[in-house]
Amino acid sequence: MPLDERYALDEFLITTMARQFSGEVMVSSVTAFGALAALLAKARYAPDLAVLATPESGMEVTPMPTLSLGQFLTDAQRGIPLTMEEIFDAIFTDHFRIWINPAQIDRHGNTNISVIGDWHQPKVAMVGSRGIPEDTSHLSQIFYYVLTHSRRTVVEQVDFRSGAGTGPDRDATLGAHGAPSVLVTDLGVFDFTGPGGTMAVRSLHPGVTLEEVQEKSGFEIHAPGSIPVTDPPTEEDVQIIRDADPLEVRKLELLSGPEAAERFVSIYERERQALHAAWPRLGKLG
Amino acid sequence: MTVDQVVADIPSGSTVAIGGSSLSRKPMALIRALARSSVKDLRLIVDVGGPDVDLLIGTGSVSEVIYAFVGFEVLGLAPHFRRARQQQALRFEEWTEYTVMAGLDATIKRVPFLPTHAGLATDVLSVNTSFRRFQDPFHGEELVAVPALKPDVALIHVNYADAKGNGVILGDGHVDVLCAKAARRTYMSCERIISSDELQRYGRDVQILRVHTTGVVELPWGAHPTGCAPDYRADLRHLQDYLKHSANEDAWREYADQYIYTDPSRYLERQGGVEALLARLKV
Repeated sequence: MPLDERYALDEFLITTMARQFSGEVMVSSVTAFGALAALLAKARYAPDLAVLATPESGMEVTPMPTLSLGQFLTDAQRGIPLTMEEIFDAIFTDHFRIWINPAQIDRHGNTNISVIGDWHQPKVAMVGSRGIPEDTSHLSQIFYYVLTHSRRTVVEQVDFRSGAGTGPDRDATLGAHGAPSVLVTDLGVFDFTGPGGTMAVRSLHPGVTLEEVQEKSGFEIHAPGSIPVTDPPTEEDVQIIRDADPLEVRKLELLSGPEAAERFVSIYERERQALHAAWPRLGKLG
Repeated sequence: MTVDQVVADIPSGSTVAIGGSSLSRKPMALIRALARSSVKDLRLIVDVGGPDVDLLIGTGSVSEVIYAFVGFEVLGLAPHFRRARQQQALRFEEWTEYTVMAGLDATIKRVPFLPTHAGLATDVLSVNTSFRRFQDPFHGEELVAVPALKPDVALIHVNYADAKGNGVILGDGHVDVLCAKAARRTYMSCERIISSDELQRYGRDVQILRVHTTGVVELPWGAHPTGCAPDYRADLRHLQDYLKHSANEDAWREYADQYIYTDPSRYLERQGGVEALLARLKV
């Protein structure tokens, strides 16, 4: 997607993610993108959100992306402490939302964070399915994002289903509970309203063509006759994101190699100072 | 108790549940003690694992891992776990975050299983043969039966404890309470042992109850290199060093000699001492 000088790709995607939220639900902040999307949504689009500082930790917190300080943010802001039981009860009762960043997503919205290749003989063993089976069997909205839309990430069929997509297996057991709702990538916004619950184009980001999307996907994504362009962020959106992430932790998700490593160290060294500047300590050991 | 007394209570082949979550409040000093002992063939149960599982695999102490996740979060994948998975060197059973909790809870409640929808329409059910599908006897709905997980031992690390075995957790609780209640014997390390009078001032933060604990060990910085909020954050620089040393056998032996095959006080000296740790990690 061609860059506009008014915003960076990360700011465009975070704003697009923020605009998917609605209602009074807990929102987990697992990644910097997810945390900033929740924060921006609460400020501008979905004021009733109950935002969490980390996957677990505390509620009613203003997230600030860091590498090591999630629980300290809860403590400094005196967030409402949550237990794992409360998190899963919120998932089971459909009062919870999360942006999940899978390694693979397929035509039916099945997602994989566990393994590349056969589970029993892995080519790359990743991390394990974590809580994705719980999310994809209970929540009425499931949000996914993929930062590099390619044939390696948007695939015909995932190597392993950590997250349940659409299709006969779901229809026979779960029904609509936990079905995938939205996928945001660096090329566009997609949903699962194609034939048989398959992936369909909802909008393309400015300057992105349908040909480019099909070229970079492992299967042909269903496309309606007329495709809208994704709305860009406003000046206010961009400002809120920049103010909330003074260390620019969000940029790390788009980088790799030596540049990422260098930034990583620099953020780790500076983040305590940034936390104290934003939230003078009043916590349990303060 | 001492670290050595805890390890002496854990025979080879034990099933060990570990508290904490990835880079947060892992009982690493106890884990290192277990790793340098002659204990082998451990069956580990973790909800969200990290350097705990990885280090014990690295020292050859493990025969099986039951897990929902094993990784180093922002730092990437767990190197020994990944290698062992790819070489099919050990037995692995992939569970999910809630089902590990439910398996422990089933043991606590003395029932053989607990039901859930989690896992339906995913491949977790096809690779994990411990789960069973069954029909709800009331309405015929299809559900997953999560079998009871029965740890012999639980290892956890908390902020403060009294000598009787009550424990204070000030940051996220993770699954420590479930581990402590489900295990036949629970060993708890803590940053500091305090008097029972002082402990009771922490009210609801007293999460670990002495009826569930077998022993307490005072081990300052006992979660290092993971974090122990709000006392200290995770030592990501040390963990980067760990990852670097996990690349090949020689480097790993060097890491193990330096940091595992040593006692807890020398371990802290090798981190530059308490002053240096405070400067790096106190928030």
